[in-house]
This record gives sequence, structure tokens and C-alpha cells, in this order.
Amino acid sequence: MEQKKHEPLIRLSKRENMATWQIWAIRIGSIFLALFLGGFVIGATGVNPIKAYSTIISGSLGRATAIRQTVKIAVPLLGCALAIAPCFKMRFWNIGAEGQITAGAIAATYFALFWAGRMPGPVLLVTMAVAGALAGGIWGLIPAFFKARWNTNETLFTLMMNYIVIGIVRWLQGGPWEGQKGTQIIPQFAPDACLPRVFGIHCGWIIVLVMVVLMHLYMTYSKQGYEIAVIGDSLNTARYAGMNVGRVMMRTMFLSGAISGMVGFILVSGANGTLNDGVAGGVGFTAITVAWLSQLNAFAMIAISALLAILQKGAQTLQTTLAVPTSISDIITGILLFCMLGCEFFINFRLIFRGHKAKKAAPETSADSNDSPVKEAAENE
Amino acid sequence: MKKFLALILSLIMALSLVACGGGGEEKDPENTDGKTIKVGLICIGDENDQGYTYNFIRGKEAATEALKAKGINVEWVVKYNITEDSKCEDANMELAEAGCEIIINNSFGFEPHMLKVAKDYSDITFIACTNSASSRDDLKNTHNAFANIYEGRYLAGVVAGMKLQEQIDAGKLDADKAVIGYVGAYPYAEVKSGYTAYYLGAKSVCPSVTMKVKFVGSWSDATAEGNAASALCDEGCVLISQHSDNTTPATTAQSKGAFHTGYNNDMIGVAPEASLIGTRIDWSVYFTHAIETIANGGELEQDWCHGIDESAVVLTDLNEKIAAPGTADKLAEVEKAIKDGTLHVFDTSTFTVGGQPLTHAFALDTDGDFAADSEEAVSDGYFHESEFQSAPYFVENIDGITTDE
Repeated sequence: MEQKKHEPLIRLSKRENMATWQIWAIRIGSIFLALFLGGFVIGATGVNPIKAYSTIISGSLGRATAIRQTVKIAVPLLGCALAIAPCFKMRFWNIGAEGQITAGAIAATYFALFWAGRMPGPVLLVTMAVAGALAGGIWGLIPAFFKARWNTNETLFTLMMNYIVIGIVRWLQGGPWEGQKGTQIIPQFAPDACLPRVFGIHCGWIIVLVMVVLMHLYMTYSKQGYEIAVIGDSLNTARYAGMNVGRVMMRTMFLSGAISGMVGFILVSGANGTLNDGVAGGVGFTAITVAWLSQLNAFAMIAISALLAILQKGAQTLQTTLAVPTSISDIITGILLFCMLGCEFFINFRLIFRGHKAKKAAPETSADSNDSPVKEAAENE
Repeated sequence: MKKFLALILSLIMALSLVACGGGGEEKDPENTDGKTIKVGLICIGDENDQGYTYNFIRGKEAATEALKAKGINVEWVVKYNITEDSKCEDANMELAEAGCEIIINNSFGFEPHMLKVAKDYSDITFIACTNSASSRDDLKNTHNAFANIYEGRYLAGVVAGMKLQEQIDAGKLDADKAVIGYVGAYPYAEVKSGYTAYYLGAKSVCPSVTMKVKFVGSWSDATAEGNAASALCDEGCVLISQHSDNTTPATTAQSKGAFHTGYNNDMIGVAPEASLIGTRIDWSVYFTHAIETIANGGELEQDWCHGIDESAVVLTDLNEKIAAPGTADKLAEVEKAIKDGTLHVFDTSTFTVGGQPLTHAFALDTDGDFAADSEEAVSDGYFHESEFQSAPYFVENIDGITTDE
């Protein structure tokens, strides 16, 4: 390496062979760092951070009812992360899961409102699920079609599709599906149209766990999963290998939208018992974080969605028992996600400080780097 | 490697330091002789809305004071910004698990989600304000409450009508140009009952008055409310009132040279040259009643509704500077007449529907199809609003009012 006149303070280089235990140590360290930093935020509200953290844990996992609520929050996150994973593997930036959930929810709601009592309960639920999956799939297929045909920007396209479908729900809510006039509320579903409960939670949790296994098999062992991986790695390779890239894109987006649509069905039939314009409630966006943090690994998504659900449910208890504003726990969640995503950077890259290699380093330089533990970790192989 | 381990160790140490640093601030509950009762309140907004939820928070604070004087300490747990979906169910469960003896839901759309939780906690009192399922569900621990806000609106209408009549008498306004503009949220029974009462109040002192109603399609949308008020003024309305949360109709009325009467909040501060008076529900009356009843082991009625009679509905200060002379005296007179039952707001001799007097209307919806089907509401010469259930059910379109519905 040639020594230039002005060497930058920090240079990056890709690192290849880091021991697995070190990678995990960095990851776990980043969680602790986040909790440590979050402690200051909590402390600023005058609450003992340790007490706050233990409240989060006991509030989300301390009792059977609490665990049920936590699972209820995790179910759509996990389901939607599963939906997003194949798209992101393909480097197709589907940020329209929110809309695909809502589209599925609308279709499921149609059958819940107008077909309840006209077919047996289980048939009705299956019909709602299939309708939800189809509607979500079609909503996802539209931007994929445009991308495949005219190479439109899928990020903007999928995002814009969200607003359209949410607008449709608003219209239904105040128009044809409104219950009592002027209330903007669609009536609660008949019991037939609500998912049965297993262990006190709507059985959506079983559906998503089955989907985890199926998605893992699909991505790891199927030909289609392989095609998705190849397209994600290199479009040209895929084309050279004779893959019909446009077709794979449309197929994958239909699948992704269909899974989101199933999540929409689970939300209306299991959690809410009705449809409203906030049915997706940001799940489609949070699920992106879940998918990334799990590095698109279906089983890791279970852990990550559980973690986020614990934080969310725990935050509610924190507000109830210690009067910590819920926005504070949003900040803590933000810090946690930042640290967890950020640490991947230090796993993939190493920082080289000016003069470090030359061994002429003044002692202050290395002392400087001590204040940042993660940098330190990255520096020290 | 060593550095790496040292780093992890130091992190753990730092964390435990935080653990030791913060503790020891346990707040002892106030040691007083009276009883302490834990009450949960679930709100659709927060105090910053300066309207709907703010009005509940004011009620909560006043009730706390009133109960303290009676030897009952209330420990409130308030959940803000809860949406009308499964989050509301979670909030109810959360408060139930936290040991609340009473859980109050402040928004109409909370009720179906509250009911899912109420059946599992039969020893906790669940209250859904402004809704009506307690009479239909078979749960003993669910309750509804509302206040006769239509009485307050009638009184505000009297103030408005007097102002219009004053201008007509002074020759500043043609009698047929006395048009009131009303900014409503949705064509919902509560809104309809409210603006009809308001119009009847105005008409009782200004016989030539008519009214135009615009629905903005939101309970709280400052811009849309302002726009609706502005359009109403452009269409010739000389006085604006509202059933929506923001003060923009008041400020718009002022900038257009119209008068105004408000809701939920005193709006004289923002529109001193336009706002004549306001009316609001004082929730502290019900809160005090409900909490005191439960704390003393009594039986709380499933459906509660009072108005002027128990000061559950109040008027904000009258803007004496711009109100017509004699308004305060007239108000006192009408208020007394409502209290002693000699005046009924929906007196069927004072209005017509499609040119005919109203002789029949049902009050209650018993089969859940959202159309009233039982209990005759019209008798003894008036429509019995909020007597069969607390939630309003007057939905007639009376002559003299045009809507953009």
C-alpha cells in the first residue's frame, strides 16, 4: 500500500473471516450497548432504568394474559417479515406490504360481512383466507408487472399503492360497509368469521409458524427459491442462465403479496374482529426491520419479531405502571434497532485508523479509539 | 482477543453501575384515612387536542378533587392515543391486569373492543362513554354514560338567535337572511340531535332563522373545519356553530365578520369579536358519581345520562361585549324552564318534518341493524331524547335545516 501525503483518519476494508463467536459477541454486545444508552433516556424521565427494563420483561412475559398479548403483536410482524423476505432476497424493494395487508383484509372482510351464516364456519374462514391471499397477491403483482414490463421504480410504486388501498378502506368505512350511520365504524364480525382461539390466542400464530417452515423450505430447497437468490446476486447471471427474470419477479411478488394478504386476514378475523383504515398499523414497515435484522432467515424472524413484540407490549405496561410515556419506549426501540443494524456494519467491515498499520501511532490515537467499544471491537481482530 | 473480552466485561460493569445508581425512589402512596380506588381511563387522543380528550382530562381532574373532599383517593392510570381496534382491547386488558376497579373508555368506537375484555373480568366495572351496548349485552359489569349535550346546544342556540334577532330589529339584517352555518363532523345521531336542538333554540327567539349544515367527515380536522366554515359564510351564513374539535370555525367566522358559538371549550380567547358562548359536557359529574358509587360498594346504573339538571352540561362564559342585551337573563330563564320540565327541547309543536308534525319515532335499536325499532320516543307533545338510552337517537331531518349529506 502506498503511503499518500494525506491519509484519511479512518479507512474501511471488507473483512472476511471473523470467528462465529466474535460475530455473536458483537451482536449481543450491541444489544447491551443499546440497553445501556436506552437507560439514560429512561433515567431522564426519573425512573430507574433497571426497574423499567424489568417492568418491560414482566409486563410482556410475566403472566399468561401478557404473553398472549405479546404473541398477538408478534404474529403479524412475523407473517409480514416472511412475506417481505423473498422480495428482498431478490433485491426487489417491496415497501408496499402495508397495502397488501390491507387489500387482503378488505377481501376477507367482504366474506365476513356478507357470507357469514350462508356457509359453514370453517368453510367461511378458509374462503376468507383464500380471498385475502388472492387480493394481497394481486395488489403485489401490479407493481411487479410494471417493473417487469417497463422497469418502473418498485419502491415508489409499492409505496403509492399503500395509500390507494387505505383510501378504499376509508371509503368503505364511511360508505357501503358502515354500521350505525355517521360512525365510520364497520360492525364486528359474526363469531363464525372470527378465528378460533388456541391457548387463548387467535390461531393466527399457528398459521404463521407453519408459514415459517414452508418459507424456509421454499427459499432453501426449491428451484424457485434458488432463482430468487440468483436474481438477487446478479441480474445478468440470471439472464445468462436463461431465467425469465420478469416472470420470477411477478411470481415472487404475488407470493409476497399473498402472504401479506393472509396477515391481513389474520388481523381482521383474529385480532380486530373488524376492518378499519389502520388495520396494517405500520406492520408492513416494521416487518422490513424484522426481515433485515434476521438477514432474511425465516427462523431468526421468530426471535426478532418476538423481541419487538416484547418491547412494544412492555412499553404499554411501562406506561401503565410507571407512567413512562410510550414515546420514550419508541426511542428505546429506535436505539435498539439502530445498534443492532449498525453492528452488522462492524461485522462486515473493519476500520483502519490513520497510522495504525505504520506502528508509528502516537499513543493518543489508540486512546481515542477506546471510547467507542464497537469500533474497538472491530479494530481488534 | 483480550481487548475484546475486556470490552464486553466493561460493558457489563457499566450496566450494573446503572443498576446501582438509579434505585431507591419508591413513591409511597399517600397515607390518608380515606379509601383509595384505582381507575383506568382510555383516551382516543391526549390533552393537546384542546377538545374532546382534553375535556375528559378536565373532568378527571375535577372529579379527583371532588372525591378527595369525600375521603376517596383516586389513583388514575390514563392511556392516551389508543386506536379503535385491538389496541383498545389490549389497553383494557392492561388496565384490568394492573388492578383498576373501574375502566373508562372515552370514545364511541372503543366499546366493541372493551366488550371482548369485560366478559373475562366480571368484578371490574367497564364504562363506555357515548355508546349504548350495555342494555343489549348480557354483562352486568358494562355501563354507558353520556350527558344531555343537546340541552347545552339549545341554550347556545338561544344566545345565537337573540344576536340574530337583535340585528334584524336594528335593521342591519333582513329577516330572511338570518342563516346559521353549522360545521358538523358526520351525519351521526349525536351530531344531528345536537344541531337540531341548536336550531330550535335559535328559532325560539328568532322565528325567521334557517340553518345550513356541512359535514367535514372527521371529528377533528382543523383545515377542513375552517374551510367548511368559510364556505358557509360565503353562502350567506351570518353565524357559525360547530360539532367538531377545533377552533378554526371560530377564527374563520371572525375573519369573515360572522358570529360564532363553540363546543367543548371556551373559544372567546381565540375569537373575541365572534364567539358568543360555548357549551361542553362536564364529565366530572359522572366520574364523581360512578367512582363514589363503586368505592362505597354500591350498584352503578348501567346507563347514565344527565344534563343541565345535575350540571353535567355547562355553558362557558357569555361574551357580554358582543352578545345581545338581556341574553344572560333569557338564558337563566330558559335554563330554569328546562330544569323544572316546563320546556322540552324537542317540543313537537315547534318543528315539522316534511311539513308534518312529528308524531312517531322509535328510540332504540334492539336487533343491532342500526335502525331504531322499539320504544316510542314521541309522547306528551315532545320527543324524549336520551331517556331510553344515554346515547342520542334523534335522527329526523326537520324543516328549516338543509344539509349537504
